[in-house]
Amino acid sequence: VTRLAALLLAAALLAAGCGIDEKGDELAGSTREATIADADGDGALDRGPAERLVDRTELAPRGRATREVLRFGQLADVHVRDEESPARVPFLDRLGPPVTSTFRPQEALSPQVLTAAIRTLNAERPDAVLLTGDLLDSAQRNELDQLLAVLRGGPVDPSSGTEGYRGVQSAANPDGQFYRPDLDAPRHRGLLGRAQREYFSPGLRAPWFPALGNHDVLVQGELPPSDATDAIATGDRALLTFDPVLEDLLQDLPRGGRGGTPDLRDVPPEAIEDLLAGGIPGRTTEVPPDPRRRHLRGAEPADLLREAANLADAPGGPRLDYAADLAPDVRLIVLDTANRDGGARGVVGPEQVRFLRRELARAGDRSIVVVDHHGLDRSDGGEAARELLAGDDRVVAELTGDTHRNEIRPVQTESGGYWQITTGSLADWPQQGRMLRLVTGPDGERAIETWMVDHAGGLDAEDLAGAARELAFLDAQGGRPNGFAGGRRDRNARLWLPPLRSGG
Amino acid sequence: MRRAWLAAATVLAAALVTGTALTAAVSLSGGFDRAAERADLPDLIVRFDEEERADVERRIGALPNVAARAYRTELTRVPMAAGRGSTRRGSLQIVDPGRRGYEIVDGRDVGTADDEVVLEAGVAREWGVEVGGELLLGGEPPRRVVGLSRSPDNVAFPLARAARAYIALESVPERFRPFLGTNMALAWLSDPSRQDVTLTQARAVSFGLEDLRFVTRAGVQVLIGQAAGIVVALLVAFSVVALGTAGVMLGASARSEVARRLPALGVERAVGFSRARIVAGQARRAALVAAPAAALGLGIGALAMRGPSERLLDALNEVGPGLGLLWWLLGAWVAIVALVGAAAAWPAWRATNAPVAALLRGGELATGGRPPRRLWRRSAGGFTALGARLATARRGRWLATVAVLAAASATLVLLLALASLLTALRDDPGSVGKRYALTANLGEEAVPDIRRVDGVADAAPRWAVEASAAYALGQPLRLVAFPQRAARFETPPLAEGRRRRATTEAEVGTGLADALGLRPGSTLAVALPSGIEARFRVSGVVRSLEHEGRAAYVASEVLEDSGVLGAPVVAVALEGGADRARIGRELAALGAPPSDATAATTRNRAFLGILASVLRVVALTVALVCLAVLVQALVLTARERRPTIALLRTTGADRPVLGRLLAGACLVVLVPAAALGLALEWIVLGPAVSSLAAGYAGLSLAPGPGHVALVVGGLAVLGAAAVAWVASRLVREPVVTGLREEA
Repeated sequence: VTRLAALLLAAALLAAGCGIDEKGDELAGSTREATIADADGDGALDRGPAERLVDRTELAPRGRATREVLRFGQLADVHVRDEESPARVPFLDRLGPPVTSTFRPQEALSPQVLTAAIRTLNAERPDAVLLTGDLLDSAQRNELDQLLAVLRGGPVDPSSGTEGYRGVQSAANPDGQFYRPDLDAPRHRGLLGRAQREYFSPGLRAPWFPALGNHDVLVQGELPPSDATDAIATGDRALLTFDPVLEDLLQDLPRGGRGGTPDLRDVPPEAIEDLLAGGIPGRTTEVPPDPRRRHLRGAEPADLLREAANLADAPGGPRLDYAADLAPDVRLIVLDTANRDGGARGVVGPEQVRFLRRELARAGDRSIVVVDHHGLDRSDGGEAARELLAGDDRVVAELTGDTHRNEIRPVQTESGGYWQITTGSLADWPQQGRMLRLVTGPDGERAIETWMVDHAGGLDAEDLAGAARELAFLDAQGGRPNGFAGGRRDRNARLWLPPLRSGG
Repeated sequence: MRRAWLAAATVLAAALVTGTALTAAVSLSGGFDRAAERADLPDLIVRFDEEERADVERRIGALPNVAARAYRTELTRVPMAAGRGSTRRGSLQIVDPGRRGYEIVDGRDVGTADDEVVLEAGVAREWGVEVGGELLLGGEPPRRVVGLSRSPDNVAFPLARAARAYIALESVPERFRPFLGTNMALAWLSDPSRQDVTLTQARAVSFGLEDLRFVTRAGVQVLIGQAAGIVVALLVAFSVVALGTAGVMLGASARSEVARRLPALGVERAVGFSRARIVAGQARRAALVAAPAAALGLGIGALAMRGPSERLLDALNEVGPGLGLLWWLLGAWVAIVALVGAAAAWPAWRATNAPVAALLRGGELATGGRPPRRLWRRSAGGFTALGARLATARRGRWLATVAVLAAASATLVLLLALASLLTALRDDPGSVGKRYALTANLGEEAVPDIRRVDGVADAAPRWAVEASAAYALGQPLRLVAFPQRAARFETPPLAEGRRRRATTEAEVGTGLADALGLRPGSTLAVALPSGIEARFRVSGVVRSLEHEGRAAYVASEVLEDSGVLGAPVVAVALEGGADRARIGRELAALGAPPSDATAATTRNRAFLGILASVLRVVALTVALVCLAVLVQALVLTARERRPTIALLRTTGADRPVLGRLLAGACLVVLVPAAALGLALEWIVLGPAVSSLAAGYAGLSLAPGPGHVALVVGGLAVLGAAAVAWVASRLVREPVVTGLREEA
């Protein structure tokens, strides 16, 4: 009887451990098993069919590749955010493109979404995880602290200021342009309060390699931090509603042909800078100040990330350019494309090109994965770096982020070519991470298998990450209408690579 | 045989009421839904000041849960002329390719040809235009009417002020198209129950759109209800109650018939028939009599009501049930026959449980050993008293007759109360809490001048702002705003809480309170067309008929910075006995002739004419029922007392004497029936109809003195007619026939 009881107890424990348990560490999220979709178009998410890998042969014909060289993950544009920070401009979001990312209905849930993504990535057992920039939303110290707490594992405190939520989504805010979970549909009462509570993160169970994006070093990804921005961030006044004074400011902005809404694409960055330089315009509200909201300056973000990611061999300084071994046969080169002078566009300097040439030379006969946030083709000065990659047949992929859109493009080069793989953001629908496998075959075949991984948030929107995904899906300025999920060929694909000319 | 005819007449009368009521109820209650279905009415209509199509498409195309979308450009105040009509308030709708949201009821939809137009059926009806006719739009060359349309997104012309016509965007000359924006977006949702989610996102991307208004299907229904919703609801509720009344009539009639046949049932029992066989036979006989009578009554009732109902629906751009009504009538026919059968079977089953001897002695003795209490004292004397005694001798039938007449007279009283209420809702602003008699389309600045007019007690600007509940954007509401000092200008009866005192407070209609779960102390959050959210503390809940009870009464001061207070109308309260004509002239001299303040229903003459014909049909039906029941009661009494009457005639009783005798029989039925009917209407039917039609408004349908006098008088006239007719028949019958029966 005792042995039977022990067996039953063991079976019960195993059953409990194998289920999808929010508190557990490993949860299935691979889209090769099931997807999350709105099949009937009613705005409600449900389980969808699995997506098999699509063979892409633009660079090389389909072959036979079964030996796994490296298995790794990618998380892009995490945007861990202090949504209560006074140094934000969520009220500009209503103006439409291109400032639609200044407010998101799910913005208070960024640490929880990252944690849920880590849970499913852990289940994929990667050898390494690449974090391809915009880890933070507005280069604040407390955002970085939250990010590192989630990645390391252990308790995470997602709140800032004082306890509870004091931001634009509060039920007390009569500005109906902001989604207020306690009031507006879909109604999630108490969501914001729960989002501020401390919780436990399992931590990322693989070595991780960060890249810096513009949001990691610039205020709102646009403005270089300054004493003025710090004063606003750590101050006790915030603009929580769209003040009529802003309407007057907007009157002078460029407009469409028939006098439509302002088009901020033509607004010089100085205009936004001017907006904040004189302090917060309009009628502000008192909020609890928090010195942890100060902006990261100079080498601080690079130094802190190097330390946290154990990149002891990486060069020091404000730029986070470095190389590392992902596997015995795979070399990683990371380029820091964030423009410290301000602006969202990427930049690659001559020094970085020299660094890239040097590291390519040091890679030996190993396959090379290049990581940068903006994409070299979308960065000023990136052409020189692209030319270096074009001449090297060891380069298998350039992994990027920034656009928040899943996209895989072949880059045809004289040496055969490589794949530029861009992964969508955890901040926007579809809130997925990406898994990749570098595989080889007996006859020199090479391929990258890649598939998307949903985070562990439930579909019933009871848990915070699940609610975040639902809200991200509904967001009329978010990833759904903008097609950030990409096509099937941009998600789950087997990307065939030309064989090495050197025969390695 | 003659008794069978009389029973059939009662069934026919009840079926007539049923047919009339059922046709009205079925036709009117689902009219909007049927029309919306056939017109493919969008789930969401978004109106705004003209914007570029691409900009609007960027916003609407991004919304979740949208299965299809289409755009229109509405040009207002377009001069239109066709047939025998013309207007300067035409609404020309330029429709983009895609789903339309209107039904083509004749002809075809507009194509790309530049000379085609679709005209709203209501306009075509009013102006006498047919497919193939021509329509003049402004100074443009005439367009050919290729089709007639119907859409319940508004009531039909002329109930709606604007005449609507549709042309295709492709038919607009290409040189003009780049300058043509859009001001209306239509969206069909994949799951309409999730429209709030869609609306939340729509609001989030609406910045920059001016005068933005979201209208959902429910909102459209409320808007249409503005014109006649309360009237239709009252008629439907009346019909439901009338159906119940008809059931009572049928049951009572069948029961009376069984009571009359009790001796015959005793004979059947005596010769060995089983109870089941007797009961089945009784039910079969009753059903055989009821079946053709019910079919005839239902048919006549339906035909009589069909025309007025359809005209009423046409005026509202709604659709009748068509052949679907036949199923309802068939169901009613089955129900009537079954009811009559059951009403005959049940008392027969109970009666045949008595000893055969008791049955043979007669029905009145069968139910108890105690002799029947005399209901008419001998001391009353005379032929009238004798008639009363003869009528009450058959107690069961007498009670059944009284019950039927009471139900019918209650229905009549209800009808009269309904008519009075509708009149008050049309003409008496005070009935809905409006403390002003006139309105004038003069600006706010004219208020001091208006106040100085002799006979004017006070004047204040009144704004009506169409808005939505901020947290449930699919719930439309109307803000009625007066300056705080003039808060008493409009005070619907308070149902809960207290009147507002501060500018931050609101009184909300019961309809709105029910829809949003508001109580005194709650917060009412309103999404204004300007995109601003206004919040009010609910001080009280009021029984308002404005906007079907979905209204909130607030201080205009709170809305001053919100950009929604356009030009108000000025509400003018008059002193007692003021000369309205003179005041009207003086106000006209200030810039605009005043209008009488409206209450809750339209003043449209054609619409009210249709309504009157509906009520006339119902009244006529009920009056016929009363007459049939009275005649039946008198004829049965006369037949059963034929020997007595023959004996009286042999002793010299002439027609006046027989008249007095029958009058006594008639009075003994009419008087209690009238009293009972009035009580029934007051206690049961009136409150029931009021609650069914507009529980949010607390309408009173209690009978007034005038109603009582009319019904009593009407019944007296009907009774006199019945007495005269039956007496003339009795006089024509040979005396010897009655005496032979005695022998």
